[in-house]
Amino acid sequence: MRIVIAEDDTLLREGLVMLLGGEGFEVVAAVSNPQEFLAAVAWHSPDVAVVDVRMPPTHTDEGIQAAVEARRSHPGLAVLVLSAYVEQAFATELLAGGARGLGYLLKERVGQFKEFLDALKRVAAGGVAIDPEVVAQLFTRRRGPLDRLTVREREVLALLAEGLGNIVIAERLQITEGTVHKHISSIFGKLELAPTERVSRRVIAVLRYLEG
Amino acid sequence: MSAVTGDAFEALDRLAGGLGTALLALATVAGWVVVGPACLIGIGLPMVQPMLSVTRSVAERERARLGRWGEHVVSPYPATRPAKGWRTDPATWRDLAWLAVHSAVGLPLGLVGITLPIMGVRDASFPLWWHLLPEGETGSSLGIPVHTWPGVIAVGLSGFVWLAISILCGRPIARLQSLPGRRLLSPHPSVDLSERVARLTATRAGALAAHAAELRRIERALHDGAQNRLLAVVVMATAAKRALERDPANVGPALDRVQLAAEQALTELRGVVRSILPPILANRGLAGALSAVAADSAIPCDLRVGQLGHLPLSVEATAYFTVAEALTNAGKHSRATRLRVEAARHGEVLRVEVEDNGIGGAWERGGSGLAGIRRRVEAHDGTFTLTSPQGGPTRMKVELPCAS
Repeated sequence: MRIVIAEDDTLLREGLVMLLGGEGFEVVAAVSNPQEFLAAVAWHSPDVAVVDVRMPPTHTDEGIQAAVEARRSHPGLAVLVLSAYVEQAFATELLAGGARGLGYLLKERVGQFKEFLDALKRVAAGGVAIDPEVVAQLFTRRRGPLDRLTVREREVLALLAEGLGNIVIAERLQITEGTVHKHISSIFGKLELAPTERVSRRVIAVLRYLEG
Repeated sequence: MSAVTGDAFEALDRLAGGLGTALLALATVAGWVVVGPACLIGIGLPMVQPMLSVTRSVAERERARLGRWGEHVVSPYPATRPAKGWRTDPATWRDLAWLAVHSAVGLPLGLVGITLPIMGVRDASFPLWWHLLPEGETGSSLGIPVHTWPGVIAVGLSGFVWLAISILCGRPIARLQSLPGRRLLSPHPSVDLSERVARLTATRAGALAAHAAELRRIERALHDGAQNRLLAVVVMATAAKRALERDPANVGPALDRVQLAAEQALTELRGVVRSILPPILANRGLAGALSAVAADSAIPCDLRVGQLGHLPLSVEATAYFTVAEALTNAGKHSRATRLRVEAARHGEVLRVEVEDNGIGGAWERGGSGLAGIRRRVEAHDGTFTLTSPQGGPTRMKVELPCAS
C-alpha cells in the first residue's frame, strides 16, 4: 500500500515513517507542509494519505483544508487525519464531501498499534474510522432524530461510526451477530433510511449521526 | 508598647506624605494665582488646560496617597480623560477647592506633626549634650534660654511631653490632614454613579481580556510544544515495541528517539512553566528576581528598584519577562558596556525602564522576543515604547497598570 505522510513535527514524521515502513507499507513521500502534501498527492497518487491537522503557516486547520482540497482534486483518495485534540468542526468539514475512505483519529491512537493499523487499512479500503473520543463528544451534544435511538442502538451506531463491521461490534458489545443486525435494522428504520439505499446505508447512518 | 510606637511612626509617615502633596498643592495654587489674573487680560488662557492637568495630577496623587493608607478614594473621572467641559464639571471645581484647603491647612498640620517629635527628641536628649554648646547659647526648642541644671532637667522633661503629645495626637492630626481629600476628592454624592460603574467595568473587562490572552498563549505553548513531544514519545515507543518483535537490531535507535523525545517534552514543559511563573519570582518576589537577572547579565547592569508595594502576580511576571528579554537582547546585539534598569511604582502604574549605551538599531520582528513582550504588556492594558535609533542608545519603557 502506498502512503503519503504530511506531518510538520520532525520526530513524529520520522516515527510514522519508521512504524509504517516497518509494517511493509510503502511510504512514497513524507512532507512537512500543505503545499508539498498536495504536490506529493498529485505526483504519487497514493492509496492513502495520513495528514496532521495543525501545519504551517498558522498551525490551525491547514491539514484539514489540504485534505479537503486533495479529495476534491483526487476523488476517492483515502485520507486519515491525525489530530492532537478533538475538534468536532474538523470532522464535520471533512465529512461534508462524503465519508468514504475517511478517518479522523487522535494521534495517541498510534500507540494502540494494531487498532491503528486496522483503521488505516479500513480507510484505505474505502471505510470509515472516527475516533471514539469524537463519537463520545457527539453523543453529549447532539439533539435530533438520534434521540429516538435506544442506549444500545447508540452504542451500535457509535461503533459503526468507528468503522467496525458487524462481527467486531458483536464481540465488543458481547452480543450475537444476529442481535447486532437487528439493532442496525432498527437504527435504519428510526433514521428513515429506505432499503433501496442498502449499499451505503451504514455510511449514511454514520453521516446522519455525525451531522446530527 | 510597640503597637503604640508603630502607630506613631505610621502617623508620621502619613503626615510627611500629606506634607508633600500640600507643598505640591501650594505650588499649584501659586501657579493659579499667576494664571488666573492673566486670564482676565486674555494672555493666560492658553495656560488654563495645562494648569488643569497639573491640578488633576496633584489631586490624583493625593487620591493614590489616601488609597495607600486604606482610605480608598474613587477617582470621579471617567477612564478616558475629557478634554473639554471642565467649566461645568463639578469634580474639577472640587479639585480646585481641595487645592486651596489642603495648601492652607494640610501644610501647617504636616509641619506641626513632623516638628513635634523632632522637638521631643531634641529636648529629651538636651541634658546629655547641652554643656557642649557655647556658653550663653543654650535653650529649649521653643527658644527659651536655659543655663542651669534645674532648667536643663525641665527642658528634658518637656521633651517627653512633646513626644507624648506627638504619639497621642499623631493619628488625629494625620486624619484631620487627609479630611479635605476624603471629602472633596471623592465624587460628589449627587454625581451619577454610571461613570464610576463604566470605569470599573472597563478595568474589569481589561483584566478578563488579559487573562484570556494569557490562557491562549499557554494553551498554544502546551499544544505545539509539550503535547507534540509526548505524542512523538508514544509513536517512537510503539516503533520500538514493533522493532522488538520483528527486528531487534533496530530497538536501540528507536529507544534513543524515545528518550530524545521525552527529554524534549521535559524541556518544553519547563519552558512553559517558566513562562507562566518563573520559580525565582515565586521565591524571591520581583525585586529579588530582577536583581538575579541583573547579576546574570553579560553587560554590567545598574539596577534601581523603587517602592513596589503589593503588585498583582501577573504584573510582576510581565515586568520580570520584560527586563529579562531586554537584557538578553542587549547582551546579544547592543555592544553596550553599561546597562541601566529602573523599576518603580508610581501610583497605580508600575514603570520599568531599561537603557543601554550600545549601538541601537533594535526593532520588533514578528515573532521576536520584543514583539512577545509588547503582546504581554498590551494584554495587561499597559504601554510599551522602544526607541533605538541607529547609533544608539536603546531605551525601552514599559508601563503596567497595577491597581489591586
